[in-house]
Amino acid sequence: MSRPATYFVRTAVWGAALIVPLALAALTGVLVTRGAGALDANLFFGGVPALQAMTGRIPVWDGIWPACAGTLSLLGLTMLLALGPGIGCGIYLATSTASRAKAVLGFAVDLLAGIPSIVMGLFGFTMLLMLRRTIAPNAGASLLLAACCLALLVLPVLVSTTRAALESLPRQLHLTGAAMGLGKWQTLRHILLPSSARGILGGILLAAGRAAEDTAVIMLTGAVANAGLPAGIFSRFEALPFTIFYRSSQYRDALELEQGFATTLVLLVLSLSLLAGASKLQRTLEQRWQGIRDDD
Amino acid sequence: MIVCLTMAMTLSVSLASAAPLDAFKGKQGTVDIAGGTAHIPVMKEAAKRIMTVNPGIRISIAGGGSGVGVQQGGEGLVQIGNTGRALSSDEVAKYGLVSFAFAIDGVAVVINPANGVNALTAAQVKDIYAGKITNWKELGGEDRAISLYTRDEASGTREVFAKKLLAKGDVAPSANVVPSNGAMKTAVAQDPGAIGYVGIGHIDSTVKAPTMDGMTPSQENAANGTYTITRKLYMNTKGEPAGVVKDFIDYVFTPEGAEIIRASGYIPVAK
Amino acid sequence: MRFDRNRIADVTFGASALVTGLAVAAIFGFLFLFALPVFTGGQGLSILSGVWNPGRGQFGILPMLAASLCVALSALALGWPLALGLCCGIRGFLPRPIGRLLLMLLRGMTAFPTVVYGFAAIFLLVPIMREGLGRGSGLSWATAGLVLSLVILPTMALVMDAGMRQTERRLRLTGAALGFTREQTLTHLVLPACRKNLLAAAALGFGRAIGDTLIPLMLAGNAPQWPSAAWDSIRTLTAHIGLVLATDSNSAAYGSVFVAGCLLLLVNVTVQLCLRSLLRTGETA
Repeated sequence: MSRPATYFVRTAVWGAALIVPLALAALTGVLVTRGAGALDANLFFGGVPALQAMTGRIPVWDGIWPACAGTLSLLGLTMLLALGPGIGCGIYLATSTASRAKAVLGFAVDLLAGIPSIVMGLFGFTMLLMLRRTIAPNAGASLLLAACCLALLVLPVLVSTTRAALESLPRQLHLTGAAMGLGKWQTLRHILLPSSARGILGGILLAAGRAAEDTAVIMLTGAVANAGLPAGIFSRFEALPFTIFYRSSQYRDALELEQGFATTLVLLVLSLSLLAGASKLQRTLEQRWQGIRDDD
Repeated sequence: MIVCLTMAMTLSVSLASAAPLDAFKGKQGTVDIAGGTAHIPVMKEAAKRIMTVNPGIRISIAGGGSGVGVQQGGEGLVQIGNTGRALSSDEVAKYGLVSFAFAIDGVAVVINPANGVNALTAAQVKDIYAGKITNWKELGGEDRAISLYTRDEASGTREVFAKKLLAKGDVAPSANVVPSNGAMKTAVAQDPGAIGYVGIGHIDSTVKAPTMDGMTPSQENAANGTYTITRKLYMNTKGEPAGVVKDFIDYVFTPEGAEIIRASGYIPVAK
Repeated sequence: MRFDRNRIADVTFGASALVTGLAVAAIFGFLFLFALPVFTGGQGLSILSGVWNPGRGQFGILPMLAASLCVALSALALGWPLALGLCCGIRGFLPRPIGRLLLMLLRGMTAFPTVVYGFAAIFLLVPIMREGLGRGSGLSWATAGLVLSLVILPTMALVMDAGMRQTERRLRLTGAALGFTREQTLTHLVLPACRKNLLAAAALGFGRAIGDTLIPLMLAGNAPQWPSAAWDSIRTLTAHIGLVLATDSNSAAYGSVFVAGCLLLLVNVTVQLCLRSLLRTGETA
């Protein structure tokens, strides 16, 4: 029995179990202690009455409401663009029999997943330059461009979670459809998709979380420090992560800094809730098929 | 809704003298602004007033530095490209940009308020940035290593600093790079051993500006010529401006605009 | 002809697969296309030289590449053992309730936005590094490396955990038959069996670390010099792209950005190929 090995692993375990939560607690602690004080209506609306601010009647200049609205619009548009290709691709990978195509596509999706977000933003930027030189000379950095790039960024998440959700279903389900004489699409629509719906939905939430927190892509394709509420998909916009980034280096006084901390808390809450929703959904999916799968 | 609209209109009337902002009533349009970071406080306040009077006008403001102002203004990606330096003849020829100087700003060396040093000479600054002087004690301060901060290559502030203070000397490659005036100010305010440079309009109680060759950095001195390290702030458009863009530029040159410029810490310049 | 839903479905899904594939090809294609003029134009290979000084017309991005590698490797060096430790703890070295809490913590960490890590670190870690090290401005290789290891930790740990869970289930009886305690089963049976999985987690972590933008941009100082000491201010390829695009206007500097992007893509492809070869042989085992 080589005891040293176990001792070595044990030190690593205890070290990690102490360091990591401590580091995380320290970082979150800084945010909470320095930001919780600024979590009020002023943070969001900067002195403008709430109703007028939310409907855009009076522009909000010193609050993060435009950034929140920008992030939500960006999320919505991104998911709209990414859902079709993402889920379709995932279904294709899970149900297709063309193994060569599947291998190539699987590799492509993995490549896509590994592309750094700034390179994705760079791609968006080059697309903009290309468009301006060829078919759309008046194109500019905009919500649409940022959403397209973000959609590409989160596509792999959708593809892999859809694929995993479908593949985690017991084999019996696939056979059930065939046994009833259903075609491929009918099996999918009536049996497989409803059964894996929770997993797919979880994937959508994960993708949304990824899109909400990304900064590097939107930095290069349309997010600016001040723009008011998003006015259509061809305009520049504000977004929470970019506001945080901007504030971190360019706060003008102590209040703005405190509000910066509070903004990080807002974004943190948004990301964590999306993740919590996703986990809950995926766990119920697992539990549902647990019994049947263990018999496999 | 009518109540809100009336409220907004009465508010705007009472907020500012009606005349300059009247030009924006009933108009629609977009003005995208990008470029010099020193200009941002002025742009922001002007945009706030205009958009409060007329929410139909959308003004977006981005930073990036003078280089971005030239590039994006020249390519037409934004309607107004701000620069903290005069355009070179190449840039004017390539992009056809028209410049409007609207303020005078000085460029000053800043250090952390906790730093005991109160006076510097241009020769010392040159050596510090070249990496020859590395500790504050060599300048009469405490025993602490000097942390260099500099701007990115396309910064107008940096260009003025390099030309007038460094006399085109080198900046040591170990200098931390920050992307804007605001970022420079924050960095120097947080680091006790820091030295950097900002537009004078950005100087406040969080940083200290030592005298340079006996000249005290302040906007008055910049205006009357006592402080010689100055530059003008420019708005640039591709070709002659028209429509809402022209209105915006004209607004900056009104007395109300001058008031905004002064409040931001700069000296207004007539058109 | 009947409206064959199955056929339409097949075509639709095939189309989305095609779109995805085309998107990937487009990304690689455009970036290489835009990077090409840098080499064929006046500059030639000087873009890969070792000095970045646009004031003197020198546009070498090699220091940035070195910085990216240094930061990523140091983040990996710290993060991988921590991830391994956490995994082993969850799988048996620690009491179950603590293990479950740690797993929840890891899952939560995946949702922690990197910009928030950076923001918190600027105000917490940078002053500590500055005063603690006594040298440098606090914005340095070390600061970025520390925070980056936290960022890549959850990804690596969750991948390791997934692999270890399966292997442990398989080998539990074996270990019991040999008279091992749970800890010994883990150390002597599961970990060696999971070797491929652990390496894959490392590759994944490395890929993630080298591709991160915000942490180096906010915490590493962005000086374009060769990394020589842990307290040096350095600029990674990703931060370089962000800085140059946000601020520069010189077309030669722009070219460097596309080359940097291509370098990052090449690293990505290499990492993916490594992963594939690791996991494929793992499956047949």
